[in-house]
Amino acid sequence: MTPSFLIILLLALSVFGYHAGRRRALSVAGEADAPKLHSRPVYYGILTALWCGIPAMILFVFWLAFEPAIITNIVVAEFPAEIKNLQESRLNLVINDVKNLVEGNIVSSETKTWLQSAADHYKDLQVVSKAALAVIALSLAIICALVVWRKISPQLRARNHVERIFKYFLIACSTFAIFTTIGIVLSVLFEAVRFFKVIPITDFLFGLDWSPQMAIRADQVGSSGAFGAIPVFMGTLMISAIAMLVAAPLGLMAAIYLSEYADIKIRAVVKPLLEILAGIPTVVYGFFAALTVAPFIRNTGSLIGMDVSSESALAAGLVMGIMIIPFVSSLSDDVINAVPQSMRDGSYALGATNSETIKQVVIPAALPGIVGGILLAVSRAIGETMIVVMAAGLTANLTLNPLKTVTTVTVQIVTLLVGDQEFDSPKTLAAFALGLMLFIVTLVLNIIALFVVRKYREQYE
Amino acid sequence: MNNSEYKQKALDKSSSGRTIEMVNKSLSRRYKAERRFRRYGQVAIIISLGFLCLLFISIISKGYPAFYQTFIQIDVFLDPDVLPKDKLSTANYPGLIKKSLSSEFPEVELRREKKQLYGMVSIGAYYQIRKMVMKNRDMIGTTQTVWVPVDDDIDMLAKGHIDRNTPELERRVKDIQLAWFDRWDKAGKIKKRFNTTFFTSGDSREPEMSGIWGAMAGSLYVLVVTLLLSFPIGVAAAVYLEEFASKSRWVDLIEVNINNLAAVPSIVFGLLGLAIFINFFGLPRSAPLVGGLVLTLMTLPIIIIASRAALQSVPPSIRQAALGVGASKMQTVFHHVFPLALPGILTGTIIGISRALGETAPLLMIGMVAFIVDVPGSFTDPSTVLPVQIYLWADSPERAFVERTSAAILVLLALLIATNFLAVLLRNRFERRW
Amino acid sequence: MIRIIVVLAAAFTTFTFWTCTQSESRNYVSIVGSSTVYPFAAVVAEQFGRTTRFRTPILESTGSGGGIKLFCSGVGLEHPDIANASRRIKKSEVDRCRENGVNEIIEVKIGYDGIVLASSRKNPPMSISRKDIFLALAKEIPDLSGAEKLIANPHKTWKDVNSSLPDTKIEVLGPPPTSGTRDAFVELAMEGGAKTFSWIKDLKKKDKSRYKAICHTIREDGAFIEAGENDNLIIQKLEANPDAVGIFGFSFLEQNTDKIQGSSVDGFEPNFGSIAKGDYPVSRPLFMYVKKSHVGVIPGIKNYIEEFTSDKAWGEDGYLADKGMIPMPKEEREKYYNDARYLVPIEIK
Repeated sequence: MTPSFLIILLLALSVFGYHAGRRRALSVAGEADAPKLHSRPVYYGILTALWCGIPAMILFVFWLAFEPAIITNIVVAEFPAEIKNLQESRLNLVINDVKNLVEGNIVSSETKTWLQSAADHYKDLQVVSKAALAVIALSLAIICALVVWRKISPQLRARNHVERIFKYFLIACSTFAIFTTIGIVLSVLFEAVRFFKVIPITDFLFGLDWSPQMAIRADQVGSSGAFGAIPVFMGTLMISAIAMLVAAPLGLMAAIYLSEYADIKIRAVVKPLLEILAGIPTVVYGFFAALTVAPFIRNTGSLIGMDVSSESALAAGLVMGIMIIPFVSSLSDDVINAVPQSMRDGSYALGATNSETIKQVVIPAALPGIVGGILLAVSRAIGETMIVVMAAGLTANLTLNPLKTVTTVTVQIVTLLVGDQEFDSPKTLAAFALGLMLFIVTLVLNIIALFVVRKYREQYE
Repeated sequence: MNNSEYKQKALDKSSSGRTIEMVNKSLSRRYKAERRFRRYGQVAIIISLGFLCLLFISIISKGYPAFYQTFIQIDVFLDPDVLPKDKLSTANYPGLIKKSLSSEFPEVELRREKKQLYGMVSIGAYYQIRKMVMKNRDMIGTTQTVWVPVDDDIDMLAKGHIDRNTPELERRVKDIQLAWFDRWDKAGKIKKRFNTTFFTSGDSREPEMSGIWGAMAGSLYVLVVTLLLSFPIGVAAAVYLEEFASKSRWVDLIEVNINNLAAVPSIVFGLLGLAIFINFFGLPRSAPLVGGLVLTLMTLPIIIIASRAALQSVPPSIRQAALGVGASKMQTVFHHVFPLALPGILTGTIIGISRALGETAPLLMIGMVAFIVDVPGSFTDPSTVLPVQIYLWADSPERAFVERTSAAILVLLALLIATNFLAVLLRNRFERRW
Repeated sequence: MIRIIVVLAAAFTTFTFWTCTQSESRNYVSIVGSSTVYPFAAVVAEQFGRTTRFRTPILESTGSGGGIKLFCSGVGLEHPDIANASRRIKKSEVDRCRENGVNEIIEVKIGYDGIVLASSRKNPPMSISRKDIFLALAKEIPDLSGAEKLIANPHKTWKDVNSSLPDTKIEVLGPPPTSGTRDAFVELAMEGGAKTFSWIKDLKKKDKSRYKAICHTIREDGAFIEAGENDNLIIQKLEANPDAVGIFGFSFLEQNTDKIQGSSVDGFEPNFGSIAKGDYPVSRPLFMYVKKSHVGVIPGIKNYIEEFTSDKAWGEDGYLADKGMIPMPKEEREKYYNDARYLVPIEIK
């Protein structure tokens, strides 16, 4: 029996369990002088189905997770002695050979008889294991379901049971973010620490000069690289700010118009259209910024006698702003739309015009959602790479002039990580340090944002 | 607004005449402001849509020629001496085509010119003949007239991307090749056909043989994984945080965390995926499964934030009413609050998935930025995705990849619009105002 | 609502388990490494996949450093079999390999990649020397009066550097410091130019680190623009800005001869002949590293190397040359062919 068939069987059993549980609940409730059911019959059904499916599924996962390892060990135990004593990594390659044989793929070296017999053995074991799994999983499912089914009575608090299981699931989901964060911190921390062993942390934090061009490599002793993170962070800040100057007014006004003024039909078309802007691959924006916007800015600049470099923060920021419009517009539109009509009506009744209502009633009510959308947009702007690489260049300048070349943290991280340098040179390690720094900086910004939003949030009704 | 301010204003008004006069006086100014405000909104939308149009026009105008490929008609004699029945798969197919080309232009004798002549036909032609012969062995010994693809440079010439007026040395297509091409063209042996290869095959280093189906399949697998994981998990997390968790430092911590994750550069998620899924769990490199998992981690914050905002905007009266008629907390949330918040949740999902579909950087670390010819058949087969394909083609030297890059972008957008369309339909169904 | 949840859960579980049931053996060659070698290796991989019974190798473009790191992370099927690099493997990397049990590495030099300085065809072609390159792009240059000291680079236009050059602003779009192309350019062009000053050349023996610092440091005042590694984009920027000069790989020049032209360096134009002969000074070798312990175990490695080292691939008329890779001279090809054939591991001191 193949595993996928087994899953389908288990699912079918669960559905069956659902119906059986429900019917049982109805029938116990239908008996004369039975007390009223504690929960609606559906919950008895779900409870039976859950007990039927979940334990068997868990068994299934563990079985499949450990099956290959166990079978491999059994097979390895029968290898000739000289193979068994190979290094572990070499042994793995031999085992790969066996598995290739089992699957009938092309095997590299000529097939030796012991290899063939090992493969046959492997195949036999697989068949046995699959059969055993099927039997055990199915019986477990049936037994669990039966036990629950027998226990069904009007007093059984089925809904509470089901809700508890659901709640555990919800809690588990909400901890994902924590685990991801821990994972990210761990995956950059160690390399960052190694970086700080070479470059003093103060140089990194307060240095005004970012120029990883002089790598500290074995054959380049003496020439010191400059790893001051401030220009890079300034670049990020400036480009994100330009992007937000474009995206926030455009996005917000678009959202207001769509939800408050526009015809429903227009809104139904325009909103998804705007959302496409978020999905256009950044390579496209990059080309657009580098080949259309940047030369345009450069030419206009030289017309009025300004010195504009061919890659400028302005070009990258403008185009990035366009990209993140939907983050602001769509999310704000949803929350504005969700503001109760009664509040608008109240405002109109006092004689306020549409725009006054919007400015003084609707926007404050929708503020948390709008801020959430803007925060997301800022996050996206900070994390964007491709547009900046293509349109703003890679040179770190400590400047506030948007017509100059700047670079951003993410751009540096990407180019440092995928460059041709050795992986343990400070140049590459700097990427991890930058990642960690960015993480901390955004964390602080987010904490501030949380307090600000909490302070100004107004809950109506 | 502040209460005392209102009072102050009211006092001011009463001291300077009747309110209605004041209102009438300011009315035209207020209406003007109203119109201006409204116009701002229109302008914002027009600007945004204008950019969208601009981008679309530029992509389409660059990309549509890639949907056509130039073919050439040649007569190939399937020589039984060259095609021994037992060695059909390794026979000298290039030789067959070269012979056919030579017989068409017997005057070409110089070695260099011969090479130029043979170079006009794509190497795809060899595989095409091979496939044809292997399928129908009876053809051996006959002369077959077949349409085969031309080389990418000739294709560019046929599509008018090569200027005949530039000096020969600076041109990819030489004068003699131009003459041959014109002769073929006059004889009606050159034809442009719909480029099915582009939609049915995997990547290739020869532009005329390259296709996006491999990347498209990879993208679909990744999309399925990402959607199946990020939507339920994201919504569940948002529901728990917004509806069940008591407001505590712990929840604040999670909230700040999630907001922060949204700003983590995507390549860092790639590093994480490499460490967890590949090195720790031992999942295979380059697999869409791993790609989907990494992109799930990346989209989760977007979905959670959007969902929380949507849940927050459901008026508390809905919850109070449900609780009042005796619903449990879980029933309140899932029967009443969740459906009302669904439009906002779906918006978050659309934006999150759009981003995931267009992402390249995190996939670099987990081995999906790769040259993969075979079309993936399962969630663990090595594969790449559309944005990676676009990125790789955009960096290829061959001119013909330029239009293919744009065409691939069009396909990606089509995929995006198709997936969004479903979500938009759902959203419109659930959306309501109260 | 419950129904939706049930359906979702069902889809979810089916999917999870279906993926769990996939096998985990590997029957294809896994290659990682340099984005410069990528287009060439991809042609070979494709040809190999189409004409043999083996599956097409999977070729990742990770950059030389990242590729070698993956390559050196161990023996076993989860680690790649071959790493491509646009520079030679370093001692520290070989050590790292050894630590992880990768003891025998076979080095195959596969050919050369020319690095060209190119500009738009709208202006007449430039002919520059390596000395000019050094004087135009170094951060600090020797004092113009001839004294043995350094001054910050004062040159604004090419004419300042050398009166025979045009009177246009120095504006060079080149690779970032993390790129191997940059390293090669600096070593070959800039160092070559710096050596023309005899006192700097003498410095090499006396104070090597200072010597390197002088030769390898590119100016940062805006004349040299780090432009990322998308060479097509650089070409399009050159078209838009005829006065700019771009630095990138030869294969991109070859494909775009109608738009851009290569500047000749030290009197040699960048073309196939001059690079292959070694006359054109700015070209770098490309390498492929093979894990010996994987050969014979992962199906197809040996055959892939054979395809790569066959004359129809890397020979003078081979398909790699058609794609813009500069082939090695015959004797060198033979040497590396034998190394690859008999799996001779490298020794790096």
